[in-house]
Amino acid sequence: MNGTAGSMPQTEGKMTRRTIPLSLIVGGVIVGLHLLAGLLTLFWTPYDPTAMVGGRLAGPSLAHWAGTDRLGRDLFTQILIGARIAIEVGSGAVAIGAAIGVTLGILAAFATRTLDDVFAAAFDILIAFPTLLVAMLIVAASQTASLFTAVLAIGIAGSAIIARLTRILAKRVLSMDYIVAARVAGSSWPSIVVVHVLPNIWPTLIVNLALQFGLAAMAESSLSYLGLGAPPPNASWGRLLQEAQGTVYTAPFGAIAPGIALVTLVIGVNLLADGLRAFADPTRRGRR
Amino acid sequence: MRRSHSPLTSPTRGVTVSVVRLVALMTASLTSAQAADADPNASVSIGSLYEPQNLDNTAGAGQGINEAFNGNVYEALFRLSDSGAVEPVLAKDYKVSEDGLTYTFTLQPGVKFHSGEPLTARDVKYSIERVTAPDSKSSRKNSLKGIASIETPDDATVVIKLSARSISLPYNLSYVWIVNDAAKDLKSSEDGTGPYKLGDWRRGSSLSLARFDGYWGSKPANGGVTFRYFTDATALNNALLTGAVDIITSVQSPDSLKQFQTNKSFTVAEGQSTTKLLLAYNDRVAPFDNVKVRKALARAIDKKKLLNAIWGDRGLVIGSFVPPTDPWYVDLTKVDDYNVESAKALLAEAGFKDGFTFTIDTPNYDPHPLVAQFLQTEYAKIGVKVNINIITANEWYSKVYKAHDFQATLQEHVNHRDIVFYGNPDFYWGYNNPKVVDLVKAAEASTTTDEQTARLKEANTLIAEDAASNWLYLYPQIVVSKASVTGYPVNGLNSQFFASGIRKAGK
Repeated sequence: MNGTAGSMPQTEGKMTRRTIPLSLIVGGVIVGLHLLAGLLTLFWTPYDPTAMVGGRLAGPSLAHWAGTDRLGRDLFTQILIGARIAIEVGSGAVAIGAAIGVTLGILAAFATRTLDDVFAAAFDILIAFPTLLVAMLIVAASQTASLFTAVLAIGIAGSAIIARLTRILAKRVLSMDYIVAARVAGSSWPSIVVVHVLPNIWPTLIVNLALQFGLAAMAESSLSYLGLGAPPPNASWGRLLQEAQGTVYTAPFGAIAPGIALVTLVIGVNLLADGLRAFADPTRRGRR
Repeated sequence: MRRSHSPLTSPTRGVTVSVVRLVALMTASLTSAQAADADPNASVSIGSLYEPQNLDNTAGAGQGINEAFNGNVYEALFRLSDSGAVEPVLAKDYKVSEDGLTYTFTLQPGVKFHSGEPLTARDVKYSIERVTAPDSKSSRKNSLKGIASIETPDDATVVIKLSARSISLPYNLSYVWIVNDAAKDLKSSEDGTGPYKLGDWRRGSSLSLARFDGYWGSKPANGGVTFRYFTDATALNNALLTGAVDIITSVQSPDSLKQFQTNKSFTVAEGQSTTKLLLAYNDRVAPFDNVKVRKALARAIDKKKLLNAIWGDRGLVIGSFVPPTDPWYVDLTKVDDYNVESAKALLAEAGFKDGFTFTIDTPNYDPHPLVAQFLQTEYAKIGVKVNINIITANEWYSKVYKAHDFQATLQEHVNHRDIVFYGNPDFYWGYNNPKVVDLVKAAEASTTTDEQTARLKEANTLIAEDAASNWLYLYPQIVVSKASVTGYPVNGLNSQFFASGIRKAGK
């Protein structure tokens, strides 16, 4: 597993743990910038996001860094707010997905053989449906679209993947000798989960959660693009993209700007996840 | 934001607009005169976004079938010309009895169906009964319910008896396509009398019409037309750019036009549509049952700015539900002109000094969500908070149109002469003014069109003064073609598209 050229032997783990991978730094900076932009909008934005302050479809200028939309609203302001919405939805959905997914995954890992098979099959079936489709169904079932239903829908839709991963990781830990020892010593299963399972699976899990965050941000944009996300005037990037669709020829920046924002966030999150994997899980170093 | 409204501002602008239109029309006729080298057998390819669901306009085929078939494959006793006038087609002549209850139509002689059978009075009777049949889904079914009986004394004469006077009968008959009474399966085949017969219909892709050599009227200026259907406007524009189609029947965004305007190989023609965008309130429920609230909401919106945001400098603010192609058009833009201060004052008078909150059910397709945001921002200035609820077209139909379960909604209404909807208190917006109801009824019972027009103008004005809905603007109708193609209709009344005058130069 670790025999490939250039990979660090496990014995040097202590030393390598101190070197921070480049991808972690770059990803961290990109995500940090988005986070800062999102936090900033809580207190200040360049313009009122709904005020029609400029001309129709003005190009980028000093006054309007990303130009204006058809109603003359400042796009840069809306993109900043979009960062906040993407991060809110991303973290909210991951939190919900993790709460459901980790719980179900652990339950499956501890369950009897038959029940475990049922769980595993159920996860596989859920994963077979595209995340976005499940999220759309949940939004449709909730009658009114809001930021909360979007978070809930994406969180639930993404939970099956987390559950499956948790189950596999937990089962691997549960097959270890020290678990047998702990059981023999009379540890209850909740204490096994807390003391042994979670601390051992979190490095891999956290990487997956970071990836899920990127997927959730994209799913939110997709939902908003389809009109199923947070209703206007929430400036989701997906909604900005949708509104700019008809004007890509005459005012391409209206579509390019939110596109760049979304792409950089997702790339940043992926780099961050990659870096986290290298940093927190040295046993997997070198595997790409 | 807007300078004080001198009474001259709007009329001047209106005149400018019509002068521009006139020049556009003149240039159009000039180019068609130049196109003397038109090829009489050319095949014209027409790009459209509206593929019909089936081929029968009494079976819910959608606006696409009207575009492809009306006046092309099928003809009616009368037709609505491109300028909005009612002209006789298969009716050579007609007489109305003194009491206005009996119409006697004489049919054009020598008319043949595409199957070769001659047109007879029985076909006309059969065709009208198809539209009024219980299972018909025709949009004009209700307008024809005053028909008491149809008699066919001989092959060339149809006598229609009415239960009440209906001055719009010829107009309403323009929606009744005359089909052969022996024809079978009109959903996937046709048997009409028009200048074209159905060639090949490839579902999801194209529908071709071939010239009908036995046509009774003047021969089409081209050899045939093919409607090519697209689901995406950008793909449709690209098809014209690459020469895959010759004409686009209706461009839905001003921003794709620049690529054609700057290129001499294309002609951009702007006409008038009958499509109106409106914020319809549910007039049954508070606070929209209060005329002052409705007027305040009308005055709080800068409609010219909205129209400019959506359509650039195209389209028209009309201040009512009646477009200029309807005979009872009146410029009512001054009734509730943009004035934030008076909007605030009216709200205070109505008892909503601190505003109120309401929800706009907004269809999820462009331009509705953007328009809803514009309204949201404008209404915030008078203290009224708007929630935007995005819904699909199907939800709109069941929630708003059928169940009347809404406060306000955005919707586009495409029909010609549809002001009569305000005379129906059961319509989805629930506007109920007995005077208007009576006027609409009286207009239908008029003996002359002048009388009808006068009554509907009065109704139109009353409805506007009541601010029954908030009429935002009238869509432009934009047709783009290759410069070598001329002679197509520029107005989009009921989205019909008469093809027989289209000329195409070259091979």
